[in-house]
Order: sequence, then C-alpha cells, then structure tokens
Amino acid sequence: MFEARLAEGGILKKVLDAIKELLNEASFDCSEAGLQLQAMDNSHVSLVSLNLRAEGFENYRCDRNMSMGMNLASLVKIMKCSANDDVLTIKAQDNADVVTFVFESKNGDRVSDFDMKLMNLDQEHLGIPETDYACVIKMPSNEFAKIVRDLSQFGESIAIACSKQGVKFSSTGDIGTGNIKLAQNSSADSDDKVVVDLQEPVTLTFASRYLNSFAKAAGLSEKVTLSMSPDVPLVVEFKVATSDNDYGYIRYYLAPKIEDEDS
Amino acid sequence: MVRVELGVAETNVMKAIAQATGRSLDKIKSDATAAGDLGIVAESSRSTQKTLFQPPPLTVQAVFNKLKEVAGMTGSSSHSKKISMITSLLVACKYSEARYLARSLLGKLRIGLAEQSLLQAIAQACFHTPPEQDRSEWPPKKLDCGKKYSPEALKAKYEEEAYKDADEAEIKVQVCIFAFDLIYLNGESLIKKPLIERRELLREHFQAVTGEFVFATSLDTDSMEEVQEFLEESVKGNCEGLMVKTLDEKASYELAKRSQKWLKLKKDYMDSGGDSLDLVVIGGFNGKGKRTGTYGGFLLACYDPDEEAYQTICKLGTGFSDDDLQKHTESLKPHIIPNPKSYYRFNTQLTPDHWFDAVQVWEVKCADLSLSPVHTAAEGMADPQRGISLRFPRFIRLRDDKKIEDATTASQVADMYKSQEVVKNSTDKKKGVDDDDDFY
Repeated sequence: MFEARLAEGGILKKVLDAIKELLNEASFDCSEAGLQLQAMDNSHVSLVSLNLRAEGFENYRCDRNMSMGMNLASLVKIMKCSANDDVLTIKAQDNADVVTFVFESKNGDRVSDFDMKLMNLDQEHLGIPETDYACVIKMPSNEFAKIVRDLSQFGESIAIACSKQGVKFSSTGDIGTGNIKLAQNSSADSDDKVVVDLQEPVTLTFASRYLNSFAKAAGLSEKVTLSMSPDVPLVVEFKVATSDNDYGYIRYYLAPKIEDEDS
Repeated sequence: MVRVELGVAETNVMKAIAQATGRSLDKIKSDATAAGDLGIVAESSRSTQKTLFQPPPLTVQAVFNKLKEVAGMTGSSSHSKKISMITSLLVACKYSEARYLARSLLGKLRIGLAEQSLLQAIAQACFHTPPEQDRSEWPPKKLDCGKKYSPEALKAKYEEEAYKDADEAEIKVQVCIFAFDLIYLNGESLIKKPLIERRELLREHFQAVTGEFVFATSLDTDSMEEVQEFLEESVKGNCEGLMVKTLDEKASYELAKRSQKWLKLKKDYMDSGGDSLDLVVIGGFNGKGKRTGTYGGFLLACYDPDEEAYQTICKLGTGFSDDDLQKHTESLKPHIIPNPKSYYRFNTQLTPDHWFDAVQVWEVKCADLSLSPVHTAAEGMADPQRGISLRFPRFIRLRDDKKIEDATTASQVADMYKSQEVVKNSTDKKKGVDDDDDFY
C-alpha cells in the first residue's frame, strides 16, 4: 500500500496551483524515493517535472511502485476543502482505483477525508537528456514573475538574452517594445541578488503564456533558476521548500520559438 | 445512429491553430480571409514553436474518440477545453492531415470530387467488373432511384420513408407524386428519345390515382403569350414557376448537365412579374472558394421612415458577375465602418464580416417574400414577431440615381408581402376555417 503524511498540507495546494494551468490530468508516480509527476501540456511545447522526495514527508511508505492518474481539476476541488495548515495524509491500496486524502486540523479536533477516483492515463515516459547548460541564471522568483507579467502585456513572446553583463528580457508587440535588464549584483548574501553562471552568451525566444504559467510557482520558493543553451529547451526550476524542510523541486521545460518570419 | 454535433465555431478552430503553431490569431484570421479556407491555413501555417517531443502519429480511432469527446463537452469553460483538445490534435498532424482535420471540424470537408468524376468512376467500375461476377446487385438501388426521380419526387419519397415508421394515424402529410417524365422503362433507357415520346410512354404505362399519383399539368405551345398566361395561372395556384422544355426536336434527356433544352421560368424572371425593390447595402460577407478576395454576399436593408432606421431584409449573393463583385468590393471598401450604425436593425445571427456606411442603393428582384425570424424588415407589420425577407433575391443594377432615403420602405415591403397570391390564399382560407392555425 501507499501512505504519505505531509505536515504542511498547504504545500500540495501550492504545487497544484503551479501546474493546473498547464495540465488537465497527470499521473503521480509513487516509488520508495518519493512522488513524481512528469507530463506535457496539450501542445507538447512545455513539460512539467515534479519531484517530492520521500524525506520531505513526515511519514512515507510505498510497498510497491504505482502510478495514480488524476484529474487535476478534481484534485483542486478536494484541496479547496482543506486549510493551509492542515496535516495531509494521502493513502491508496495496491492496485486500487481510488485514492484517499485525509485532512487533520492542527489541534486534531477536525478530521475530513475524501476519496477520489483514479484514471487510466496513457503514459509516455520521456527521457530528458542531461545537458550542461551554457548559462544558468539564479534570481528571486518574485522578480521573475513580475518581469514575465509585465512583458506579456507587450507581445506574445519574450526573448531572454544572457551575457556577461547580465540578463535582458524583451518583448515586442503592437503597442511597442519593452526591455528589462538585470545586472549581476555581487552585494554579498543579499536575498534579491541575481547570479549568472556563464559559459557562452545565449539568446532564446519563448511564448509568454507558458512563462506566465510557470511564474505561478513563484509562491513555492524565494529563488528560481533558469538554465539555457542554444536550441534546447529552457529549464525553469523552483525548489519546493520551506525554511526548515526541503521537499524537492518543480521543473518546467519549454521549447523555444523559431525566429518569426511573419513579422 | 445518433447524430452528434461537434459544436465548434470557426474562431475556435482559429484559436486552436494559433495555439498549436505559436502564430498570432490575427495572422491566422487574415490568412483565412485571403485563402478562404481554414484547412489550407492550418496546413500551411508553419509552426514558429518547437515542440519538446513529437506526439505519436494520429490514428483514425484516436481522432474519432477525441472528436467525440469534443462533441460531448458542455458546461463552463467547455470552449477552452474544446480548443485545447483540438490543439492537441493539430499538434500531432503531419503532412496534409491538418487541412482535413480543420475542415472536418467545421463540417466542410471538401475532398475535390465532383459529380462528373463520380459518374466516370462508376462507369469504370462497371466496365472492370468481370463478367462472371454476379451482376444482380448492379446497378445499386440507391443510384437507380437518384436518376429516376426528379428532386421533387425524391423529396416526396424521402417524406414517405420518414413516415414509414410512424403510426398510420399520425401521418398528416398527404404525399402526391406528380410524374412529368420517364427515362427508364422495362430495362430500356429512354433518355435518347424526345420528350414527346417519353411522355407518351409515361401516360401509356402508368395509371393516375387521384391525390397520390398524377401526371404533371402541362401545356404544349409555341406562342409566348400563352406561356405568359400559363405562368400567371400557375403562380396563382401557389406554384413557383414553370419548366419550359423542348418537345420534339433536340428533346433528349440530359443527365446531370445544364442545357438549353430545359429552362426554368419563374415569375421574377419575367420583366413584368416578380417584385423589384430598391435596397440599401449595409454589410458584406467575405467570399470563400471561387469568390475569395472579394465579398461573396451582402446584407441589404429597407428603410423605415417612422423610426428612421434601416432594417435588414436579405443576404444577397446571386446576380453578380465576377467583375460586378470586384467592382462592388472596390467601391464599398472606403465605406467600411468598424461598428454598425445605431440605426441599423439586425439580428446578431446575421452579423456581416464588414459593416458599411449606408451609401449605395441597389435594385433587387426576388421570387417572393416570406416571413423570417432573422430579418427585421417590416417587423410587427405583417407578423407580430417576425420580419419579412426576400426569397431568391437577385442583383439587378446599382441605382446611383437614388438616395438612401429613397429606398423601398418597410410599409411598402409589408404591402408587397400581403399582396402575394400565396399569402392572400392562406389568409382567406384561415378566416374561413381556423384562426389559431399559425403553423406554416
């Protein structure tokens, strides 16, 4: 059987908020190592890879590897029935067709449980090749979310240019052009510093609406890491972490746009 | 068999194409206007967006299942769900798949096959069928019917079949077949024989049954005056018009071909008959197929001086030569306005692609006038809820001598409607029999 107890149930809520825009349904793969989810959006342009480590759970037991197909809209409905500080337990029998969510309030005097039907989903397991990225940008996740939000107003795509000087985000559209430059600042251990690890300069263009969906994960952690190499998908990684616990990560992969001949 | 509607609008397919290719919706829209076919746009939209992994190839079963899912979606946000479902299909399309997928979604699957090619194919199939093969199944029954019955008779046949399962007591429609020609008799094709002989054979071999099977009324003449009289008589008898045919010389039956041997004569084709109206052009519909690049149809309105408003009366697409269309498109382009004027009365179901400022008056002829739930002309004058529209409107000429205030008025339209023989007959009848019977 499978049983996992999460002291801060609200974490799953936030994770769900970060993926529900891109995915309608997805399979959670349970193994001894933890909970994993990997799925592409309908247009096969982006991929979500979620990893919640077994160590992040208060209690974790998985006797046999299993895959639970869930409708994310239904899961959102169930998570809405919980408070952020509820303790969450996820349970399923081996080969079961339902999964049970139990919410216990902090002081233990309110317990609610919900069963959700599982779905059979076509599983395509996708191997993501290990890549050494030409540049890796670390920046505050709120800053990332704001930049993406601001530039989406201009155009349907955002170019990210990374060089020795720093990172430049830009977008062009009907109303005009927007550019946001971030310089590498070395002011030590400041929380909102931008760090660029650069092998070679890279410029790639991406569809804003996907970046906007990724930015929904900004609530999960303070920092975001963007990794780029020419002609390969961008990786946007958020740690799933609180001050005293490291749960794992959520990674988004996004295929770049081809230079537009129309415009 | 259950009929299922996909319920996908053209703009939703455009949105799906935009999402699947990463191109902007505006570009897709302008391409669609230029090409006149969303299928071509879907196929030729080169993707500006790379994908991570190529989706597996589409199978018939998978596409069918997804389409069924699309059709079944209802409720909140079903539109965006439909779009994302269609997007996922489009992303997996290869080669020309996108063209046919887009067309299937819109219910306009043009596969480039005309009737003539089909006839040739059937002929070849016949020719290639080996002699030892059982021919009792040939020609297939359905094809046989299609050639023997006139459209009118086919319609009657269809109605018969539709009512076959119904309880006999429930059948209210009395079907009567009017026979006017015979092209195949006892295994012999008669199409090469002149009409006069064919008709003789028809009358010889069939027996009329009053109210069920009768011979079509006809008149043999060589005088134009008699034709005119006969036409007027037929119109009074609620007929649409006459078929004028050669009787003896050059009077063979032409299969699936237009010829001078049979001519349609409707009252609006006669100089004296038919109603002519002067109407204002207020909107244009983009042309498709052959008419791509020009307007394919126009929205016309009559004038209501009491309200000082223009009320739509018909969509007009016939009577134009290609040159005419080109000219009208050019001359109306400068008068395009982004939104309809506040004094245009129209139904949103009939929103044209472009609105025009009211500047041109056209003379239009029509077969007759009928009540319409979508047009607003003379609303409330002939019927409390419905307006009046023109049936089979045809463009005659541009009336540049007329100002837009001189257009045919709503009350004139209502009078024209009421003075029609059909309407007169039915209202007379109604007065005598039943006032509640408002069903036609």
